[in-house]
Amino acid sequence: MAARIFMKRPLELGKTFRKASTNLSAFEIQHKSPLVKKQQKIPVALYGGRHAVTMLPGSGIGPELMAYVRDVFRYAGAPVDFETININPNTDESDDLIHAITSIKRNGVAIKGNIETKSEDTEVQSRNVAIRNELDLFINVLNCKSYPGVKCRQSNIDIVIIRQNTEGEYAMLEHESVHGVVESMKIVTQSNSERVARWAFEYAKRHGRKKVTIVHKANIMKLSDGLFLETSRRIAKEYPEIEHNDMIIDNCCMQLVSNPHQFDVMIMTNLYGSIVSNVICGLIGGAGLLSGRNYGDHYAVFEPGTRNTGTAIAGKNIANPIAMLNASVDMLEHLGHQQHADMIQQAIVKTICEDNIQTPDLGGHHSSSDVVQRVIDHIVHSDRTW
Amino acid sequence: MTSLYLRNVPRILSQASAKQYQCLYAAQGARNFHSTASNNNTTGAIERPDTRTKCTLIPGDGVGPELLNSVIEVFRAASVPVDFETYFFSEVNPTLSAPLNDVVASISRNRVCLKGILASPDASYSGELQTLNMKLRTSLDLYANVVHVKSLPGVKTRHENIDCVIIREQTEGEYSALEHESVTGVVECLKIVTAKKSERIAKFAFDYATKNNRKKVTAVHKANIMKLGDGLFLRSCEEIAKLYPKIEFEKMIVDNCTMQMVSKPQQFDVMVMPNLYGNIVDNIGSGLVGGAGVVSGASYSADTVVFEPGARHTFSEAVGKNVANPTAMLLCSAKLLNHINLGAYGSMIRNSVDQVLKDAKVRTKDIGGQASTQEFTRAIIANLKPIN
Repeated sequence: MAARIFMKRPLELGKTFRKASTNLSAFEIQHKSPLVKKQQKIPVALYGGRHAVTMLPGSGIGPELMAYVRDVFRYAGAPVDFETININPNTDESDDLIHAITSIKRNGVAIKGNIETKSEDTEVQSRNVAIRNELDLFINVLNCKSYPGVKCRQSNIDIVIIRQNTEGEYAMLEHESVHGVVESMKIVTQSNSERVARWAFEYAKRHGRKKVTIVHKANIMKLSDGLFLETSRRIAKEYPEIEHNDMIIDNCCMQLVSNPHQFDVMIMTNLYGSIVSNVICGLIGGAGLLSGRNYGDHYAVFEPGTRNTGTAIAGKNIANPIAMLNASVDMLEHLGHQQHADMIQQAIVKTICEDNIQTPDLGGHHSSSDVVQRVIDHIVHSDRTW
Repeated sequence: MTSLYLRNVPRILSQASAKQYQCLYAAQGARNFHSTASNNNTTGAIERPDTRTKCTLIPGDGVGPELLNSVIEVFRAASVPVDFETYFFSEVNPTLSAPLNDVVASISRNRVCLKGILASPDASYSGELQTLNMKLRTSLDLYANVVHVKSLPGVKTRHENIDCVIIREQTEGEYSALEHESVTGVVECLKIVTAKKSERIAKFAFDYATKNNRKKVTAVHKANIMKLGDGLFLRSCEEIAKLYPKIEFEKMIVDNCTMQMVSKPQQFDVMVMPNLYGNIVDNIGSGLVGGAGVVSGASYSADTVVFEPGARHTFSEAVGKNVANPTAMLLCSAKLLNHINLGAYGSMIRNSVDQVLKDAKVRTKDIGGQASTQEFTRAIIANLKPIN
């Protein structure tokens, strides 16, 4: 690969190397030496009870979904001000990206759609991954809970997937040592595995969960997944009140589609997390329902659970707004506006479960704006006791 | 007076209910002060007659009670869903004053407060150095004072088109109330500057600029003389400025700044400064656009906001004369409504104030008219128009 780049752009490569050696960005340091990062503390953006939150609409259906979120917040009276930043997917420049990352650092919290990286240049990193790494968002949590009114293959599912979000297969360290042979590195560190496992068990304890399942492939990747498994088991000993077991990823996928009710909390490395969360989303109603949360020690980013751009359905008014609305509910909960969060949550449940106002992806025949309008109607007529 | 209400109330009520849904979509002017979502170009409005908001009200000294009476009349005529919790709070009238703890508890419960000006006497009766105002600010941690100095339509002043925001740190600096006389005839007064509070106010200023689409932040200081104290303030501002690459950052020494304010005030956008400089520059700014009666301000902590006039004068010589200008207080109340997601009402009051000033038929003495406070209030009520 290096040879290919060199042949394509012999002059620029030297420049890049020089730049990298003299002036490593925080991202480069993180991804070349995958250690726990020290973040500098910045005062929280909370003024007079109103939070400032970064909004990254992303591409595809992102912008329209964000418009719905703003509408709903307006009617709910949620004390949140958005700072919207658009990232141009067509350029290779990272100015917008850096601006977005600084903005999240300033505000502490962000809500985002999927950000597209169109460039196939090897030097341009995936922007979603860059945001996660730069902010050290080492946890991704997906709370998979069935909606009773949505027709799907499995009902009554309630699984929490906790995924390592910054290393593993997503280290983006690939090279072509010999022509025709590409090596891709999977990085597993003890410190990161420990953080994830501890976070997961603490989460289970806090939310009264009974069991934690560690998902791995340590029979093949004995060292890397072995380290993850071993670390998780060690942490599990500190939480005797919570049951734990482990399962190999391939078996896990089969169990998920045949008997998903055996799972409670699951922890896994990056790529497995991506696959498993998509499997479960498919089981309970598709990409348009669930929201995911990314946490680091200092920052939190909220987004739809499965990271799909939805370019094909953009602008057609058929995209399911529920996932993004759920992400906004998670965000309100994180900011401590529990009452507003509950109000929006109940409006969503009433809309899709009781009124059966659903978009085509759930088998309904309503448009996105119908769903949002009904959610708003419920909010306007809900009781506000505070 | 009462007959005017009776004529207006049903009209406003009927229009408000008919246009309720359109109101919710009402678009707002790009630079309306502290609109809840100016980046989104929408109002944060939700009209629900059954959900009323509670707000602490401190009439203050001097003409404060008259001005707040005017606000209450306008709120009643516009049927704004806000209930006031009134506390008489005063340093010059200690026997009648509500205890500080009660007032603080009320404000932290309600999260919003509308406040007149409290007089701070030169001599302390109790021997304490802290004034009541300072006590209120420190107990609520109201660290950021924002005064939006904006030329008003129809008010004739030396300069036109002024639109700047003065942000002042108001919990430390010269107002630390740490003074002592070590030797007879030698008094030391401590000015406290901390990195934590300086960074906090700098970030507030930049976040304010981001939220309101402002382009430039000017840090006002005197670091050439107070190299350590103001030096720290300036360095903290520089550090925070690095996080905001899209906003221009500029430094200016306070003496030069005051000169520039009176000669070419249009050059300023958002200004951030320590306590005492803020006090002085606030007053210059207010003088530029029409005086203490027309400029509104607000003090922010993380959780609460206290809305009060921008230049702090009690105007006690005018008590009971019915001549004070309620514009500042009405603009404060409009900002308060914007802050609590009642943007449609806020804009309604703001537009009415703008309209009355522009018509220039009814104006109080301070801006060259003959009208009384009451006549001005009536004119505001007559001009209330629901937004669509």
